[in-house]
Amino acid sequence: MTESATYTDEIAETSDDPVEARPSSIDLASTFEESGVPEILRELDETMIGLAPVKRRLRETAALLLVDKARREMGLATDTPTLHMSFTGNPGTGKTTVALKMAGLLHRLGYVRKGHLVTVTRDDLVGQYIGHTAPKTKEVLKKAMGGVLFIDEAYYLYRPENERDYGQEAIEILLQVMENNRDDLVVILAGYEDRMDRFFESNPGFRSRIAHHIDFPDYGDTELLQISETMLAEQNYRFDAEAKALMAKYIELRRKQPHFANARSIRNALDRARLRQANRLFSHATVPVTADDLATILADDLRASRVFTMGVPDSARESSTEENKE
Amino acid sequence: MNDMSDIKTVTGAKRYSAGVMKYAQMGYWEPDYEPKDTDVIALFRITPQDGVDEVEAAAAVAGESSTATWTVVWTDRLTACEKYRAKAYRVDPVPNSPGEFFAYIAYDLDLFEPGSIANLTASIIGNVFGFKPLKALRLEDMRLPVAYVKTFQGPATGIVVERERLNAYGRPLLGATVKPKLGLSGRNYGRVVYEALKGGLDFTKDDENINSQPFMHWRDRFLYCMEAVNRASAATGEVKGTYLNVTAATMEEMYERAEFAKTLGSVIIMIDLVIGYTAIQSMAKWARDNDMILHLHRAGHSTYTRQRSHGVSFRVIAKWMRLAGVDHLHAGTVVGKLEGDPATTKGYYDIFREEYNPMALENGIFFDQDWASLNKMMPVASGGIHAGQMHQLLTYLGEDVVLQFGGGTIGHPHGIEAGATANRVALEAMVFARNAGRDIWNEGEDILRDAAQTCTPLKQALDTWKDVTFDYASTDAPDFAPTPEVSA
Amino acid sequence: MRLRQGQFSFLPDLSDDDIRTQAQYAIDNGWAVSVEYTDDPHPRNTYWEMWGHPMFDNRDAAAVVYEVNECRKEHGGKYIRVLAFDATHGWESVRMSFIVNRPKEEPGFRVVRQEAPGRVIRYSVESYAVREPEGHRYG
Repeated sequence: MTESATYTDEIAETSDDPVEARPSSIDLASTFEESGVPEILRELDETMIGLAPVKRRLRETAALLLVDKARREMGLATDTPTLHMSFTGNPGTGKTTVALKMAGLLHRLGYVRKGHLVTVTRDDLVGQYIGHTAPKTKEVLKKAMGGVLFIDEAYYLYRPENERDYGQEAIEILLQVMENNRDDLVVILAGYEDRMDRFFESNPGFRSRIAHHIDFPDYGDTELLQISETMLAEQNYRFDAEAKALMAKYIELRRKQPHFANARSIRNALDRARLRQANRLFSHATVPVTADDLATILADDLRASRVFTMGVPDSARESSTEENKE
Repeated sequence: MNDMSDIKTVTGAKRYSAGVMKYAQMGYWEPDYEPKDTDVIALFRITPQDGVDEVEAAAAVAGESSTATWTVVWTDRLTACEKYRAKAYRVDPVPNSPGEFFAYIAYDLDLFEPGSIANLTASIIGNVFGFKPLKALRLEDMRLPVAYVKTFQGPATGIVVERERLNAYGRPLLGATVKPKLGLSGRNYGRVVYEALKGGLDFTKDDENINSQPFMHWRDRFLYCMEAVNRASAATGEVKGTYLNVTAATMEEMYERAEFAKTLGSVIIMIDLVIGYTAIQSMAKWARDNDMILHLHRAGHSTYTRQRSHGVSFRVIAKWMRLAGVDHLHAGTVVGKLEGDPATTKGYYDIFREEYNPMALENGIFFDQDWASLNKMMPVASGGIHAGQMHQLLTYLGEDVVLQFGGGTIGHPHGIEAGATANRVALEAMVFARNAGRDIWNEGEDILRDAAQTCTPLKQALDTWKDVTFDYASTDAPDFAPTPEVSA
Repeated sequence: MRLRQGQFSFLPDLSDDDIRTQAQYAIDNGWAVSVEYTDDPHPRNTYWEMWGHPMFDNRDAAAVVYEVNECRKEHGGKYIRVLAFDATHGWESVRMSFIVNRPKEEPGFRVVRQEAPGRVIRYSVESYAVREPEGHRYG
């Protein structure tokens, strides 16, 4: 097939000699601007609160990839770099959102052809019966080709306590594709830092294929309060002064309770607050409500939360499968 | 346009008093008429004699192609004559053509026998074409209502099933007409077929006037051709075909030849347009019944399609042939030696291949036409084309077309097989490049040159015919040009 | 003998990158791409074995190349082709077909003639390879 490859390459490209086609110099700054990457980074800065170390790592990664591309154009490097990543951090720290931005960034830089993100967990990869796992895993990998595959809580793939667990089959296929199809997709493994570390220890194949680690720290109290206000504003709601103060208190208490999930816990709390606000407006609706009434969350709407009343989050009442998410 | 306000339909008993009356007054001119969805509509280009009013001329055409005769007849009153009268409802001057007018005429569906081209044409292009008050008359286009389309079989096989039978997808098919047209013996003739098919063509073709002459009787031709087809199929692993022309003097003789082609395992037979509409419909029915692809050579059409002012436009012939049920029909090449400008030719190709034709005046299509799921016809491009034009052919004609390189195959300096291979390699390289996103229109010559590096026959073909073009002004360009500088 | 079926059999063998480019064209047209293999390449053998279902939901042709290579691992000594299927009304059929893998030796086909009255000959085309049972063809 070698002979034919040469022939068809000639059909696809008009340049006869790749050495001659090499540029003698590259203007990195303008290449960077033209790539559209700054736009993504700017968007990230504007839309995501906090996450300073993550944003820094992303900027560094972008710079590295750009330089690497330039090196290849100048003939200083030949191999496609390994781009697989791990995102570690507690739930709700923005891993999926950043993965989406990362997919866009890799696409702008020309490292993936389509730039879509496919998010999966163990259940999407591992089958129920013999012969089920390989096609399932392959199906997911094929869908992700041209983009980024995000495996949330990747360590669940590995269950050493059950030696016939089908997860191992998925791991093998995954490793093979991560190695052989580096041009076709980028895999991001995500989850808690400690569990991820243990996973890598037992599966050194993954460790060696992951080039970029990004750690997602928990949000600070002030950041979470800011996040809560942004989330509300996106839906045309706002706190009054008293409610805002109570929200700050809520964040402080909630953090100490089980299943704290950073921004996700905030979103859930706000969803419930909106529900209570609607109930309140409805049951006290003796006079016509104003637009202002409809847009304001009062302290009462938060105070009813179990975080204040019983010292447990509302979600503790929900089914156990929801626990990890919360 | 003249003032028509004084032309009114005469009604009541006065309408039927003996004598001569203007057609427009007899009810053949109805400017307020709104055609029904079930009406057949015809668009004529009329050139009235000097002094004849265009509205009266249009009404006369409507009358003569439907119920009227030169004088009033009382027997009209025994019929629902208002329904049966064709109605001219619009007359427009032709842009840039003084003295010519477009007349729109609507016909009630009950005027026509279902599924009969003969009946349709006897009305629409019958006596009326010799009518004295007109200098010239041309049928430009027709709108065929779905209700009428559904009474026809349509193409026996259609593009989709033809491709499935041939196991050939995603590229134009290739063919060549065996040359010289006349004089080869059956044995020599089959040699040409074998070489061309083995070299890479899908089809070879009898010419329109190859029937059963002293130098080669039809059975001989069929037998040697099928030996060639099967040998070529074994040599390449492809399904191959040769259009065996079954055109003959009588239907009985044509059926006999078609049956023999079937016995020998041919995938395709051929007929000429000159056998007539009824014979064409009969052969289309036979082809449907016998799983045979039916190729129609449009021999003779230029006698009435070519001149702008008189005759029948080829787009109308194309519509009739899609109804009648042929699978292949020649439709022009744009770049070859025969008549056809790009815009008009696109109009023809759309009629062949689309499920629905929206009105497109720039392509000469005057009406929306719904084909009601009738099969699609495969257009055939032949006449003065060669491998060096592959990028133009693919751009103009698309991939559902048979490209026939007769001279461009048999005239290759290194023989027929080399000629066929040159065409096939050029074709595959061009389709590959198009799919790969290359701008084949501008880079076509580079693509061919690159492909020729590993294909000597292609290199020889490109060298031989590099400067051959047929650049003459067309005699049948659309009247509605998108840009003013384009003219006939 | 070289089997000439498909869109690109007169061109040199396609590289994986060529396959990807062509499959991407199909995907971009909204067609489902599938991989099939056979050890009976008779021109009228319509039904080659399916290597999985047509890929209806893959945006990137790397998935096609991946499956072609998976198929090669098991059937590298046979013919493998890539097909594109168009489900739109009026087509509902194959729109592309090209060979991406061939046996090392292609013995080709023979013509079998059966003479009948009136100089009629009934023809069969038979692959030399099918003289061996399935699974034992092409070495």
